[in-house]
Amino acid sequence: MSTTPAIPPPASLPPDTRGPHSKRLGVVAVIATFGGLLFGYDTGVINGAISLVARDFDLSPTMVGAVTSSLLLGAAAGAIGWGRFADAKGRRSTILVLAVIFFVGTLGCVFAPDEWVLVLFRFVLGTAVGGASVTVPTYLSEVSPAERRGGLVTRNELMIVTGQLLAYIANAVIGAIWEDVDGIWRVMLAIAALPAIVLFVGMLRMPESPRWLSGQDRDDEALEVLATVRTRERAVAEMAEVRALAALEKEERTGGVTDLGTPWVRRLVLVGLGIAAVQQLTGVNSIMYYGTTILEASGLELEAALIANIGNGAISVIVTVVAIKVLLGRFGRRQMLITGLVGTTSCLVLIGLASLLIPQGPTRAFVVLAFTMTFLVFQQGAVSPVTWLMLSEIFPRKLRGFGFGICGLVLWLTNFLVGFLFPQLVAAMGISSTFFLFAVVGLGAIFFSATQVPETKGHSLESLEAELRRRYTPVGS
Amino acid sequence: MSVLVAVTDSPEGEHALHAAADEAVALGTELVAVNLKLGRLDISRLREDVVVTVVERSPSTTPADVVLTVLDERRPDVDRLVVGVRRRSPVGKAVLGSLSQRLILEAPVPVVAVKLPETSGRGVASSSTDDADDAGSGDGGEQEPAPHA
Repeated sequence: MSTTPAIPPPASLPPDTRGPHSKRLGVVAVIATFGGLLFGYDTGVINGAISLVARDFDLSPTMVGAVTSSLLLGAAAGAIGWGRFADAKGRRSTILVLAVIFFVGTLGCVFAPDEWVLVLFRFVLGTAVGGASVTVPTYLSEVSPAERRGGLVTRNELMIVTGQLLAYIANAVIGAIWEDVDGIWRVMLAIAALPAIVLFVGMLRMPESPRWLSGQDRDDEALEVLATVRTRERAVAEMAEVRALAALEKEERTGGVTDLGTPWVRRLVLVGLGIAAVQQLTGVNSIMYYGTTILEASGLELEAALIANIGNGAISVIVTVVAIKVLLGRFGRRQMLITGLVGTTSCLVLIGLASLLIPQGPTRAFVVLAFTMTFLVFQQGAVSPVTWLMLSEIFPRKLRGFGFGICGLVLWLTNFLVGFLFPQLVAAMGISSTFFLFAVVGLGAIFFSATQVPETKGHSLESLEAELRRRYTPVGS
Repeated sequence: MSVLVAVTDSPEGEHALHAAADEAVALGTELVAVNLKLGRLDISRLREDVVVTVVERSPSTTPADVVLTVLDERRPDVDRLVVGVRRRSPVGKAVLGSLSQRLILEAPVPVVAVKLPETSGRGVASSSTDDADDAGSGDGGEQEPAPHA
C-alpha cells in the first residue's frame, strides 16, 4: 500500500504531447477505474437489496448486519493481503486476480441458498474490494505522468461513490420493473459480474506498472511500458523519475512497530488512527448501506424508497467532485474537517428529531431524506476526502507504509462495526435514538479534531515533522 | 578504522552520538553514525574535529538488524559500537524488544553502552547489567569508554 508523494515533474522533462500514447493512457485509466466502480457497486448494492434479502431469508437484525458487513471484514483482510501481493507480484497481476475474485464472489452471492453462504461470499467479495481499494489507485498513479497524478488520493473516493450511485440506480430500476418477483435481489447483486468481466478482459491488455517494474530492477521492461503511454522522448527522460520514485517507495517501508517506542511517533500514529475512526464514526455508512431501509422505516413503500435513495447517491457524487475540484485547494484541512463534523453532527440530531416528532409517512420520509442528503454534503464534501488526504500527508515518509497501512485497517474495521451494529441498534432503541447516539460520538469527534489533529496543508514534510515532534514530545525529555 | 554508533530518536540516542564522537576522536578514528530516526540526522552540533559518515536505515528490516548488517559490512574496520541505554518500564519491556540488549549481545565487536546522567549535561558510563536489561557482558566484552570533554 502506498500513496504518491506530491512531487512536481522535474523541469527538464519534455511536456507530454497528445498522440496515440495519450489515448492509450486514457484507456488504461478507464479500465483500471472499473476496479473502483466495483468497490462502490458491491458496497452500495446491499442498500436496496438488504430488505428483500431479509424478507426472503427471514433475517434477524444481527444477520442483516452480518450480510451487510461481512464484506467490510473481508475488505480489511484484503487491503493488507492483496497490498502485499501487489508489492511482490505486480499491480497488473493483482488486479487480474481481483477481477476473478469479484466475479466468483458475485456468483457465490447470487446463487446463495441460505444466509450463511451469502455471508461467506460477501466476505470473499470483500477481500477483492479491499484489494481494489489499495491496488487500483496505486496502479493509476504509477502509470500516469506527474502532471495528471494530482488528486488521485481523493479520486479513489469519487470512484467509490460513483459505483454506489450506479448501484442505487440499478436497484431502483430493477425494483420498479420486477417489484413482485421472488428473489429479485439476486439480479441486483448479479449486475456486478459485468464490470468484473470488463475489468478482467481489459486488464489482460493493460501494461504492468513501470514504477513497480523499476523497483524490481527491471528497467528495460519499465521503459518499454512507459514508451507505450508517453512520447518516446518523454519516456526516456522520465525513467530517472520512475527510478527515484521507486526508491522513495521502498523508503516508505522503513518504519514499523519498533518506531512506536518513540513518544512523538506513537502519538502521531494514535492521531492517525483517530482520524481514520472519525471518518467512519460519523455513521456515514449507515446511510450508504441502509438508506433505503431508513426511508422505508420513515414511511415510504419499498419501490419509492429505492427511487428516493438515488438522491443519497447523486448528492455524494456531486459534492465529492466539488470537494476535489474546489474545496481541498482553497481551505485548510483542519478547517474542513471540523466544519464537516459540525455539519454531520447537526444533521444527525435533525434526522433523530424528525424521526421522533413527525408521524410516519411520506412527509417524514422526505424530511429525513433532505437531512441525510445534507449530512452527505458535509461528509462526502469535507470529512471523507479530507481524512483520506490527511492520512496520506501526516506521516513522515519513512513511516508512511506502516502508518497508512494500520490506519486503513482501523478504517475498515470501524466501517465493519458501524455496518454490523446499526440494524441491532435500530431494533433495540429505535431509529431516532440511534442517530442521537451517532451525534454524541460526533461531539467527541469534533473535540478530538479541534484538540489533537495538526494542520497538514501547505507544510513540507520536513517542517511538518519538526512541528509534530515539538508538539508530541513530552515536556522534560 | 572507525567507531560505529546507533542513533535512536531519543535523548539517549543523541547522547550516544556525542559520546561516540568523543570516543572516535580519542581513538583517532572516523565516526560512522547509523541513523535510526525517521527523519534526518542533525550532525551540525557535533564537535568539529570528528569525521562523520551517516548511514541511513534500509527499508523492511528492524533497527537492530540494520545496525548488525552495517557492522557486518564494515568489519574488520569497526573498532567498537556505541549505543545509548536507559531504564525501561516493565510494560515497555513486554511490548517492545530492546535494541541495546540485542546489539550488546550480538555485536561481534566491543560495545560501549552510554546512559544519560542523572542531572542534565553529558556523561559517559560503562554499561552495567542494570541498565541494559540483564544483558550479560558476554561475547563482545565491554570497554571502559574514553573520558569525555
